[in-house]
Formats: sequence, C-alpha cells, structure tokens
Amino acid sequence: MTAVVPSPSAPRVRPAPLLSMVRSELRWVFRRPRNLVGLGLLSLLPVVFGVGIALDDGPNSGGGGGDSSLISQVAGNGLVLPVAALSMAIFLLLPLAVSIVAADALAGESSHGTLRGLLLAPVGRLRLVVVKVAGVLALAVVAVLLIALVGVVTGLIVVGDAGGTTLSLSGTELSLPAVLARVALAAAWTVGQLCAIGAIALAVSSFTEHPLVVLAVSVGWLVISTVLTAIPALDWLWPMLLPTGWPAMADVLRDPVPLGELAQSTYRAGCYVLIGLGLTFARMLTRDA
Amino acid sequence: MTMTSPTSTSPEAVATTAAASAVLARGLRKEFGRTVAVADVDLDVPAGAVLGVLGPNGSGKTTMIRMLLGLCRPTAGSVSLLGEPMPDGAGQVLPRVGALVEGPGFHPFLSGRENLLRLAAFEPLVPRRTAPAVVDDALARVGLTGAARRAYRGYSLGMKQRLGLAAALLVPRDLVVLDEPTNGLDPAGTRDVRAIIAELRAAGSTVLVSSHLLAEVEATCTHVAVLQAGTVVAQGELSTLLEGDLPMLEVSTPEVEAALAALRGAGVPARATAHGVEAELLGTAAPVVLETLVRAGVPVHEARRRRTGLEELFAALTEEGRP
Repeated sequence: MTAVVPSPSAPRVRPAPLLSMVRSELRWVFRRPRNLVGLGLLSLLPVVFGVGIALDDGPNSGGGGGDSSLISQVAGNGLVLPVAALSMAIFLLLPLAVSIVAADALAGESSHGTLRGLLLAPVGRLRLVVVKVAGVLALAVVAVLLIALVGVVTGLIVVGDAGGTTLSLSGTELSLPAVLARVALAAAWTVGQLCAIGAIALAVSSFTEHPLVVLAVSVGWLVISTVLTAIPALDWLWPMLLPTGWPAMADVLRDPVPLGELAQSTYRAGCYVLIGLGLTFARMLTRDA
Repeated sequence: MTMTSPTSTSPEAVATTAAASAVLARGLRKEFGRTVAVADVDLDVPAGAVLGVLGPNGSGKTTMIRMLLGLCRPTAGSVSLLGEPMPDGAGQVLPRVGALVEGPGFHPFLSGRENLLRLAAFEPLVPRRTAPAVVDDALARVGLTGAARRAYRGYSLGMKQRLGLAAALLVPRDLVVLDEPTNGLDPAGTRDVRAIIAELRAAGSTVLVSSHLLAEVEATCTHVAVLQAGTVVAQGELSTLLEGDLPMLEVSTPEVEAALAALRGAGVPARATAHGVEAELLGTAAPVVLETLVRAGVPVHEARRRRTGLEELFAALTEEGRP
C-alpha cells in the first residue's frame, strides 16, 4: 500500500493489453458449461445425420429441413456430409449457439452485475465491445469447425466414399483435397453468415439486461426472415433477408463452383455486420451500467 | 438544507479545492424519466478522509455513487475524481479506484478465484505475470482463501460480499468506494470490514462508504454526508455534525430548585430534567456552569456534555421532509 495524494502529474496509466483481455474472454466463453454442452450437441449433428443415412439408404431420409438434393447426395458420398450438416445447422442451431454467446456477452454480464466490474476495472467501452466481438466470433468459428471436422470424419467412417472420389452435384468427380477445400469454403462462408447474426444479437444485447430478450429477438427475426423468403409476393424484400442466400451453400459442391450467390450472400452478411456493430458501439458508449 | 455544505460552489473554489479533494461533485443530478433520483448534489471528500454516505433506502446513495464512478451519466453537473474529470478521465482514474457497487457481481459458474482472475485480466495496474499471486493475496485479505476454488454459486451472502471487497482491493487504491459493504455480513465480517477501512485510511487512501446503518458510519468515518430524497441535507466532519446541535450540559443533582436559581442568577439558561438540570452552553463554558453550581452550594453528582447521537441527527434530518 502506498499513500498517494492525487496529483495531476501522475504517470499515464496504460490500459490492460488487449490480448490478455481477449484470452480471458475466450476462457470465459469456453469454460461455461452451457456453451460446452451446446458445442457437444452441435458436433453430434453430423454423426446422427450420417448414421441415419447409412441405416436407411433411401434418397430423402434426412428429414428436418436442409437441401434435399444435398441430403440425397450424401448416400454413397461421405464427404458431402459436412456440407449437408452445415446447411442444416445454419437455419437454426448455429444462429442459436451464436446468439446465446452474444446474449451472455453484454445482457448477461449486465444482469449478473459483472458489466459494472469490467467498466470499473476499467475497460474502455469500445475495447469492451472489441473483446466481446472476439468471444462471439471465436464461438462461431469453433462451432462451424466442429461440425465440419466431425462431418468429414463421420462421412469417411460411417458413409464411406466411392473409391476415393466424390461426385459433385454437377456430376463430375472430385479428388479428396478438392473436396476438403470445398468443405473449408463452406465453413468459411458459414462463419461469415454467423457474423451477421452475431452482430445483430450483440446489438440487441447492448440494449437490454435480459439475455432471453436477445435470444427471442434473434431467433424470432430468423424464423420470420425464413418464412418471408417463402412468400413470392414479398420477393422485393428477399435481397435484404439473410436466409435468401443460404441455399447457396450447395454451390460449393458444384463443379466449377459458381461464386455469384455465395459472394452476394457474404456481402449481405457484411452489411448486417456493419449495422449490428455500429449500433452496438453507439449504444455501449452511452449505456448506463 | 438544514446545514450548508462547508465549501462554496464558485468555479474558482472548484479549481482550488480539486487538488485536495479526492472526490468533488458539483450540481450532480440524475433523472430517470420523471423521477429525480439525485437532485443537485454537491459533494466534497478531502483526500485521506473516510466519508460515510448516510441515507435511508432509496435516498439516491447508489445512484450518486454510480455517477461518481462514471457508470451512469449525470443529467446535469460535474464530477472530478482524484483531480480528473469523470467520466472522460475514467481510463486514467479508475485503475486507482476500487469499488464495490450495488452488491457483488460475479459469474456463478466460476470459482471465486477464477472470477477475480478474470477481473485482473482487465485491470490496468495488475502485472500480467503476477496476476495469480495478486488474486491470492486479495482473497487472503478478506479471508476467502479456503473457499477460493469453490464455485461462486455456492457462496453464502457474506462470502459473496467478501469476494466483492477482494475485487475492490485487488491492487493498492487511492480511492475506495464501498456501497453498503457490510450487507449480509456476520459480526466478524463487519469487524473485518471496519479493520480494512482503518487499514486503507492508515495507508493514506480515501474511502467513501455508504450505509443506512448509523452505528456503522459512526464507528468508521471521519466525515459524513447525509442524503435524503436525492439531496445532501448535511455534510461535514463527523465530530462537527455530532455536536451540531445546541451544546448542553446535563447535571445530576437532587436540589433542582437551588440549581436553577443559581444558574439563572448567573445568566445561564437552564431547565429542570428528570434527574437534575440541563444548562445551555451558549456563550458559557462547562467549568463556569459547574463553578456557579458548586459556589451556590448545590451538590453535583454527575455532569456530562450531551452528545447528539448521529442517530438523533439522522432521524431529525430524514424525518423533516416527510409529508
């Protein structure tokens, strides 16, 4: 303990290094039992999916949404499994996982009274948002990688491949490295879409101290968007809706890959990210804690 | 206002007192919609003082503290902490400020130690390499070493409060703000908090502690600010406020009539009480009163200066404005 009388010439205090803050945030996100259970369940998805298809070789055995043309392709084409699993998970499960972490990030911290502690440390309000974005992004990446990796392994073991090659949706044969590259492309594209959802969820999270509100808004918005993409009379609205671009994931398995729809949906996600992060930063600068 | 605050509010005064004041607030006001939570509060905490913020529930103590710390923006008014304006200077000032506001806030699924390690990662003044040692020291200081590795969700109210204190005392602080620190603590815990406040004071830190318990403030504080319905109704040194009322000397004597006659003869206002007389010490010193009585042959069994208990003062101040 030192006795210090306030003096204007005190040395300037440097904020804690961003890296150690991000590391601490990641530890917090990935130590949370709920998040770990969620990730575990997500990684089960391709296993259940793969086993289901292996047991029943019928063309439409996948059930529960997704691209039926993809699902029918999985039979006998094991490496299609990770892409099929991602295309299924992106409609609800992955956005849910990302929204949960975004809800915890600001609304949850606020409801536990821990946001106060962080602001008093002090963490600059803008830095705090940067740290929180890192946490949400990390979970999105880990969740997508888990599904992709477990998908690849399950695909190879349970479904098997047709003699080392995979049939593309266009009917051509793809080598193993080429297929893996396409799985990676699908994963990267999925992370991009999840960034949009994460940014919007963070924005909602910065306005409330009830994590459930964040989940309700985020999932509700997603369901409504998906429903709207099915109403032809509202086709003028489609270019603004995230789910409009989601069937494009199947494009990674065409030969050659048509990048148009993939790029456009990524661009759309970028717009959502800008709006979401802009709102989050603006709100956090003035939020009472 | 029943008592005027000891400082003036002119801008020059603010400039000159800012260096010696750990906390200086002027015209602080916070409105939530149509509710005025804090109304035009002037607060002045000299460096090295222990200020007790006393007020009934809902008097605006916590809101005032949140504004002082930059957690919420005042509707009007200005705050300077340790000579830096708030909330703009938060990045520079808050590392030197420890605070426990609105009860402890931690994550239930982490242990007490992990919760503090997480906070330490965000504290500018905690050296990265020694963070675990710093955290263990803080836990030991509040007597939580034994429970350090248990999940926070299993902590008792008192243990939670102790962890909140540990977070506030993670590094040596120039200013420590404790909002109702003894809430939920057992007598031993309350004693510990008093000891910690005394230690902080001995080390030269300024302490601001809020409470609705008068005994608490009387036991630990050098200065008091009494809040009622969002306004500071009294502020100053504890000793001054304690004797702020008309000073009286209570004298026990069986011969009340003789005593009254003697005092009135000497020009000292006095009146009879249950066990004797009560003399006003306005313009008269206690020895003079006693000398007068003794010279008049009045037997004096006991004489004592009547201290206005802070409780009386507090009750008087807070009851006043009620409908």
